[in-house]
Amino acid sequence: MFYRKTTEQIKAATRPSSVGAKAFYNNPKYRGWIYQALLLIFLLAFFFGIISNTLDNMAAQGIKSGFRFLETSVGFDVLMSLIPFDTTDTYARIFLVGFLNTVLVSLIGIFFATILGFIFGIAYFSQNWLIKKISIVYVETFRNIPVILQVLFWYSAVLATLPSAKDSLQIGDSIFLNIRGLYLPKLIDESGSSIVYISIVLAIIAVFVLRHWAKKRQALTGQQFPLLKASLGILFGLPLLALLVTGVPFHFDYPVLKGFNFTGGTNIIPELISLSIALSVYTGAFIAEAVRAGDQSVPKGQTEAARSIGLKEGRIMSLIIVPQSMRVIAPMLNSEYQSLVKNSTVATAIGYPELFTVFAGSALNQVGQAIEMMFMTLAVYFVLNMLISCIMNLFNRSVAITSR
Amino acid sequence: MSTKEFKPLPAQPAPVSTVGPVAWVRENLFSSKFNIIATILIVFALASVLPGTIDWLFISANWSGTTEAACVKDGACWVFIRAWSKQIFYGSYPSGELWRVNLCLFLLVVIIALSFILPARLRNRVAVPLFLLLPFISLVILNGRLIGLEYVSTDKWGGFSLDIMIAAASMIIAFPLSFLWALGRRSNMPFARSVSVTCIEFFRGTPILALFFMGSVMLPLFFPQGVTVDKLLRVWIILVLFMSAYMAEVFRSGFQAIPQGQYEAADSIGLGYWQKTMLIIFPQVVKISMPNILATFVMVFKNTVFLLVIAVPEMLQIVMTALSNSNWLGGHAAEGYLFVGFIFWICCFSMSMMADKIEKILDTDKRD
Amino acid sequence: MSENVNSDQDNASSVISINQLNKWYGDFHVLKDINLQVAKGERIVICGPSGSGKSTLIRCINRLEEFQRGSLIVDGVEMIEDVKNIEAIRREVGMVFQHFNLFPHLSILDNLTLGPIWVQKKPKAEAEATAMRYLERVKIPDQANKFPGQLSGGQQQRVAIARSLCINPKIMLFDEPTSALDPEMIKEVLDVMVELAEEGMTMLCVTHEMGFAKKVADRVIFMDAGEIVEQNTPKEFFDNPQVDRTQKFLEQILAH
Repeated sequence: MFYRKTTEQIKAATRPSSVGAKAFYNNPKYRGWIYQALLLIFLLAFFFGIISNTLDNMAAQGIKSGFRFLETSVGFDVLMSLIPFDTTDTYARIFLVGFLNTVLVSLIGIFFATILGFIFGIAYFSQNWLIKKISIVYVETFRNIPVILQVLFWYSAVLATLPSAKDSLQIGDSIFLNIRGLYLPKLIDESGSSIVYISIVLAIIAVFVLRHWAKKRQALTGQQFPLLKASLGILFGLPLLALLVTGVPFHFDYPVLKGFNFTGGTNIIPELISLSIALSVYTGAFIAEAVRAGDQSVPKGQTEAARSIGLKEGRIMSLIIVPQSMRVIAPMLNSEYQSLVKNSTVATAIGYPELFTVFAGSALNQVGQAIEMMFMTLAVYFVLNMLISCIMNLFNRSVAITSR
Repeated sequence: MSTKEFKPLPAQPAPVSTVGPVAWVRENLFSSKFNIIATILIVFALASVLPGTIDWLFISANWSGTTEAACVKDGACWVFIRAWSKQIFYGSYPSGELWRVNLCLFLLVVIIALSFILPARLRNRVAVPLFLLLPFISLVILNGRLIGLEYVSTDKWGGFSLDIMIAAASMIIAFPLSFLWALGRRSNMPFARSVSVTCIEFFRGTPILALFFMGSVMLPLFFPQGVTVDKLLRVWIILVLFMSAYMAEVFRSGFQAIPQGQYEAADSIGLGYWQKTMLIIFPQVVKISMPNILATFVMVFKNTVFLLVIAVPEMLQIVMTALSNSNWLGGHAAEGYLFVGFIFWICCFSMSMMADKIEKILDTDKRD
Repeated sequence: MSENVNSDQDNASSVISINQLNKWYGDFHVLKDINLQVAKGERIVICGPSGSGKSTLIRCINRLEEFQRGSLIVDGVEMIEDVKNIEAIRREVGMVFQHFNLFPHLSILDNLTLGPIWVQKKPKAEAEATAMRYLERVKIPDQANKFPGQLSGGQQQRVAIARSLCINPKIMLFDEPTSALDPEMIKEVLDVMVELAEEGMTMLCVTHEMGFAKKVADRVIFMDAGEIVEQNTPKEFFDNPQVDRTQKFLEQILAH
């Protein structure tokens, strides 16, 4: 394209001037170049203005520039971190802390939003009137209320009304829910635990091998293999066997009430709980819509044709309906996942320390280097979204078998 | 040749087992083992949750009074909403000047109504310019200095009316801008196209909260020294750009839905580029994009709540302030958030319904 | 010949036996007291105005529609509300739809082998060999690796016929197989159907192709308002209709 244009340009340049001179500004090609030149001049002037203003302003306000600040220590603590962190650590490390927290809440959100979305999306097609209505009510309620409001609602109207540590709600003697969050037993490895982990990996590999084998055998002999049951058997059986053989090389560290608070176990802070609930429920509503649209995109005739050749209902679902509806659902899932990651920034309203809150919020307040820090923050969101896009495109390719 | 006369058999009533309420219940609630169990579980769950909720929301709720002390019953304290209703809807706009806010909202409604009522020819000549002027007229009315009314600074504007007005004002200005970006993205001028693509992808890929943050901490650096631009104005600029990016994509898919024949027909009657675009293509693009435009508007409208993060006193921000007011510390978060949620739900749900309806009408148009 | 060709025929020898069949859509009575016996190898053409219930009737035969009263026996198996039963019947009955309903995400070959592999549990190679044989019979073996969207309507419908034949059915149902086709494609589909009829397949065909009816049908059935108005051999049916409603219908469709 570009090449073609330049050759045209050269041709035009070698043309006798008297031909083009009369109406050269009426020639669409020249017009295009004139418009673009004007746009370029405008943009250059615009950015030059902005940059010089910014430099002036920064000089006047004494704001430094560059990335030196990353090596200085932050001097404040964060509510929650997946890696060890204390106030003497650097801004580079708090960037990482925030990034990991963003990734954590995004993964939790994507996982539960997908489950909710598919359950309620499929529920829309239930023969049961009540289930269908519940699906509609869910979608129409939660997608029409701002997500930030939902976060605040769960955080200050629901979780904040939970009892104090002393009167925790509890399941058995190991799971506690109170105003400080959810306390779960923590799994502690003992020697030999690696065998169990290896067995889990082996089980997953075995399932893939089994799937391949079953496919091959069916192609050769026509015999079908109860793949789902066998896979589940392997996935649970093998690790269970390893557990028994190694004599259960784990113990739990249970949360225990000491004074006014719990010690031991794992604490999931209420900020993370409310943010996860809100993001999953909000995005789940949109995914349910996508699933509904995907299902409706498969004409009824497809099911009828599949029935007429004698396929069972379960097979009609897995061979005919799902592959076709996935072609509609997968791109929508992609954009919903991306908006979930972007929406995780609402954490800032309740103070969950994800990237935006700690870095573009707290850290930026201290350092004041808005340009560098916003740039770093935005870059993360762009990279995460690109990553989601890539994964979803791969997924899309694997489900959507080519057809025209 | 004699023929028999065909007399259709009289239609018989359907067997009782297939029609009527009993059959409906059997088919829709108890058609299989799974459905029987599901129905029983759902009914049980509803029965255990609904009465308590309804009681809290309505029956035992406190409706009248002006202070927290009036909330004596166990249910919701709607007195809280009542006491703060003026702020919730108008922010701290002076009480005597509220008619100005109402006037702006009224103008908005009138112009929207006009664009439906007016015949097509007048619509483009009257409604469109009015729409484009409205944000500026409203600015003048609300600010008041230019027309000799009491000056009200923008930090006093707020509440739900601000949510509505800033969303509408952004939509109006974003409309032409996004159309330009969409044209740029389709254009065969490589430089113009890449500029458009960069703009669109940047504003679509950035979280709206980050954009608002940039509006509040970075944008001031871009202006010449000594020039301070009002915070609300900066937020408006951000929202316009944000919405333009999304609308540009809406228009792009609208453009793709226009058959090639329309361009060829326009070319064949000798229209120039802008004539072709504005007279033939634009009206069709807007028409087919209508449901998606509404959906984008709903999204931006919901996003105005995010303004609370940079301390713009929109509705939710005011409720949060009210919740921390020393006279109302009794924990009314549920009431406050439910109320705000309800207001937004009503607006967004009705707009979604409208989008669905338009989509259905367009669908039937296509089939004919 | 009397209008009731089958009154003396023994129910036991028929491959499809429909007795006093009634169906309602909600309150609407679509099929009224239908009685029909189909002998093995018989070719039946069903015609009638739209809304007369003809499609509904043949869709009942492989249980794409349920009915509320009466009985339906297909190849000795009575249609009852039982999944195994319904599946058994569907394996014996092939169906061709007005809009082809090919699976757009599968290649032509995969469309054809789907039934043999998953229903009849045949090895892939054998299923593919069968599929190719049927594709040759409908004269498009060279399209095997294409996708449905790349084929013309006539080719798609021939693939659909081949797909139904692949499960080796005893009975074939055709639901207006040529109504969605351009005129020049109707013939290629009808040719395949004629060939199939000549091989002795039991066929029930809802169609307005009267040339086809005259050529291959053993019996033509005319339906209106949810009932069988008249049935007769094609010659009698076209030359000497007994009921006024039939006459009017024939006048309308044979007018041009």
